[in-house]
Amino acid sequence: MAILERSEWYDVARDTNWTPSYVKEEELFPDQMTGGLGVSRDKWKSYDEPYKTSYPEYVKIQREKDSAAYSVKAALDRSQMIETADPGWASILKSHYGAIALGEYAAMSAEARMARFGMAPGMRNMATFGMMDENRHAQLQLYFPHEHCSKDRQFDWAQKAYHTNEWAAIAARHAFDDLFLSRDATSIAVMLTFAFETGFTNMQFLGLAADAAEAGDYTFSSLISSIQTDESRHAQIGGPALQVLIENGKKEEAERLVYMGIARAWRIFGVLTGPAMDYYTPLSHRKQSFKEFMQEWIVGQFERSLIELGLDLPWYWDQMIAEFDYQHHAYHLGVWFWRPTVWWNPAAGVTPDDRDWLEEKYPGWNDTFGKCWDVIIDNILAGRHEKTLPETLPIVCNMSQLPICAIPGNGWNVRDYPAEYQGRTYHFNSEIDRWVFQQDPVRYRDHMSIVDRMLAGLIQPPDLGGALKYMNIAPGECGEDAHKYAWAEAYRANPYAKKAA
Amino acid sequence: MNQSVADGYKNNRVGPILRSSDLTEAVIEAAREDNPGKEVRVDDKGAYVRIDAEGELIIRRETLERSLGRPFKMAEFEINLGSFAGRVETTNEHIRFYFQKSI
Repeated sequence: MAILERSEWYDVARDTNWTPSYVKEEELFPDQMTGGLGVSRDKWKSYDEPYKTSYPEYVKIQREKDSAAYSVKAALDRSQMIETADPGWASILKSHYGAIALGEYAAMSAEARMARFGMAPGMRNMATFGMMDENRHAQLQLYFPHEHCSKDRQFDWAQKAYHTNEWAAIAARHAFDDLFLSRDATSIAVMLTFAFETGFTNMQFLGLAADAAEAGDYTFSSLISSIQTDESRHAQIGGPALQVLIENGKKEEAERLVYMGIARAWRIFGVLTGPAMDYYTPLSHRKQSFKEFMQEWIVGQFERSLIELGLDLPWYWDQMIAEFDYQHHAYHLGVWFWRPTVWWNPAAGVTPDDRDWLEEKYPGWNDTFGKCWDVIIDNILAGRHEKTLPETLPIVCNMSQLPICAIPGNGWNVRDYPAEYQGRTYHFNSEIDRWVFQQDPVRYRDHMSIVDRMLAGLIQPPDLGGALKYMNIAPGECGEDAHKYAWAEAYRANPYAKKAA
Repeated sequence: MNQSVADGYKNNRVGPILRSSDLTEAVIEAAREDNPGKEVRVDDKGAYVRIDAEGELIIRRETLERSLGRPFKMAEFEINLGSFAGRVETTNEHIRFYFQKSI
């Protein structure tokens, strides 16, 4: 018997709309869960997902993807890549798995909400596959690091991170709870699948895969790029949703969701992907700078797709482009300095050769961030390690939950962007973070940053020791300099001299 | 702010970004054959390869089967399709990347 081509039966098979008779339409699809912004279900009939698949195809293709990812892992298990790789590379794996694995479960839950409450059958259909995709990602990224736990307990944070109040875990939860877990189906389509997945996941799952392959970690490179092939499909849920919203006079509301999504994603990838690409990856294995990857994926590809859909660029676009030059350098400096509070060992990444590279990619780096590192280097060489370690916590942003920071060097450039709401003062890293808060203060008002918690007496004693206890980060898990300061020795005989321009 | 960076979105390049695999060379070959008169750019980043052209790029199953030398179902394209630039159209006979608006 001949099998019909998918296109001949797909539209009929995926049309699961019917007229309810036992309950009212609005009980079946309550506004609070669908978030249709008042666009009637009838109008949503024009929703047409461009990237189609069927269940038999899905199962066959996913099976092939999984067998390829697991085969690469099995073939390379005995290569002891992790044991022999640069310690900076192992730190990338630890930060990645801890920050991402359980976030995938949050994304799965979000896809499930679209699968149930999506306004269009096509959205519900593709989100069903998306839900299974995200479950796959969580399982893979819990399983792959697990074999390393017996040799290095920091790898256990793939499982542990989200169950703690470690600051980076708080930041990840705050963003993912906001974008994935506590939004209606339409907002998820826009914020998760469009803003987050057609945009930023490419940075960590394809950009970083390029560095991974350069570094010889084919297991990781194959794994994360395999994950991104799922994203590439289910991320297409968002585009047609945006089209329906725009066609029905909801452009402004749609843009607001997109801009919030981009703003939040940018901070997460700034702190996670930025240091990984520009500092932890050994110099000889860096395919491009973080900024160059941002130009390729976010400016050249993602922002172009905004224009295509009829959206305007975010009002903060110029500010965000300016941040490409400094935000992740500031985060890196902070993460390295507060290294006992993270579950990986930050690599400083500032040997003289690294600094030449940083200066080339980010002109002015030596006169700004370099000056801070000069002080750190002096202290390390003089054996004053305690001066390179924190005694308390930095001020963190009430939106990103990351330190409020800017460009150091000549003068004090850090600025707080405060906002008063119902008698409480909130602190933000930039106008962008503050704007996100102001879109829905009720949503965010009760959250306490790690610093708010310390000031409220929840962290005892209120010092670094108390904070580590609060974060449930034990000796043996606390981060330390990835290379045990060996990199600083290069400066003992020869203080750094910037290459002539 | 660097204006050339900010203007990076002003392009009309569309096409697949493939994970490095045995499909890559065949797709490049098919893309050149299926898009006559267009310059098909190939940017090899090692772990992934960006293949693009101005405005529209189509890859047909039939052409791909010839360049691969074996039968191929378009659904298999997904195994290595890490990302893509532009809009996508997926059918049993081809995959097409395109922009409706040119800038």
